[in-house]
Amino acid sequence: MSPFLLSVALVLMAGIAAGLIRVAIGPTPSDRMMAAQLMGTSGIGVILLLAPVLAVPALIDVALIFSLLAAVAVTAFTRRRITNDGD
Amino acid sequence: MYRHSVSAHPWAALSRAGGFALVWVVLVGPDLVSWIIGGPFVIAATLASLRLSEPRDRTLSLPSLVGFVPYFLWESLRGGLDVAARVLIPRMRVDPGNRTYRLRLRSPEARLVFIDSISLLPGTLSADLRGDLVTVHALDVRTDVVEGLRVLERRVAALFGESLEPVGDRTTAESSTPARGLVSDPPTHPEGRQ
Amino acid sequence: MDAVQLLSGAFLLVGAFFFIAGTVGLIRLPDRFSRLHALTKADNVGLGFIVLGLMPLAPDLFYGLKLVLVWLLVVIAGATGAHLIAKRALRGDGEDVL
Repeated sequence: MSPFLLSVALVLMAGIAAGLIRVAIGPTPSDRMMAAQLMGTSGIGVILLLAPVLAVPALIDVALIFSLLAAVAVTAFTRRRITNDGD
Repeated sequence: MYRHSVSAHPWAALSRAGGFALVWVVLVGPDLVSWIIGGPFVIAATLASLRLSEPRDRTLSLPSLVGFVPYFLWESLRGGLDVAARVLIPRMRVDPGNRTYRLRLRSPEARLVFIDSISLLPGTLSADLRGDLVTVHALDVRTDVVEGLRVLERRVAALFGESLEPVGDRTTAESSTPARGLVSDPPTHPEGRQ
Repeated sequence: MDAVQLLSGAFLLVGAFFFIAGTVGLIRLPDRFSRLHALTKADNVGLGFIVLGLMPLAPDLFYGLKLVLVWLLVVIAGATGAHLIAKRALRGDGEDVL
């Protein structure tokens, strides 16, 4: 089962790499934030897939933290105002 | 202050503490020693939640919840399939645009569930909420967006035990008042921005 | 290779498919609201299927429940985040100095 899990993880990572295209071309900060969100979700998927392969069940706690941080990141992004862009 | 909120809403306090205890068990597993840490945190979380979100005389209807979960999962799956089918074919079938929907749900919890669920339904995305007017972005405006929203709103209303007022002359109400709703209404929405 | 493993593998493949669809949508779709559609829906469904496929491999019940908890958090965060991003873009506040 391990090689199979790793290949699925690889597909997800290819998705992350492709998402970088959106980060590069933008054009707006919203688009880049979306790409970051995609990476967060895919990253969680990769971690969940790696946990049984590496036999480290504690990795799921890392995934849990990632999911919480993703929410914080988006909220922080949407609270940013044009007036505090200068600093 | 804390004591007051616990004695005023004993059932809310108890059920919330039970919920937090459940989360703790899921997080760390059935280890009795872990409650040395978990116990105080469950109590602290319960007190914080009672203070931050005042309990109301409102209970989640359990039969409706049992019906809502499969509906939600099925619609999410349809939403995923719909968007996948649209983007994966060589000529994308999209005709994006905005629609305005007049919200009839009253309580903030119900509105939050409704707003979040819109984004998971096929072809719709909740883009803004001002007063009672939800701006819904549709991936394809040629499809009937409003009908799906109606069904969802009924489900959410049943979930929170709310009764919806009849739709009435929605079209006239919508065409005559959007300016007021969009411009002069104070921006009140569940997230509460500063 | 028993039936459960086969089913688990099928779920994982479906999950990967939805992730690919989400990424393709993010790159191909013409405007940022439409991209948000692809992001929230496809990714949440994709992660849901990954979680479903990993369920039989869970060492105990609590691990399985934690998998569901991760998915729930991602769904809630994804839907709320999409609404916030859309609102910010629609109102044009603080947004998009090119």
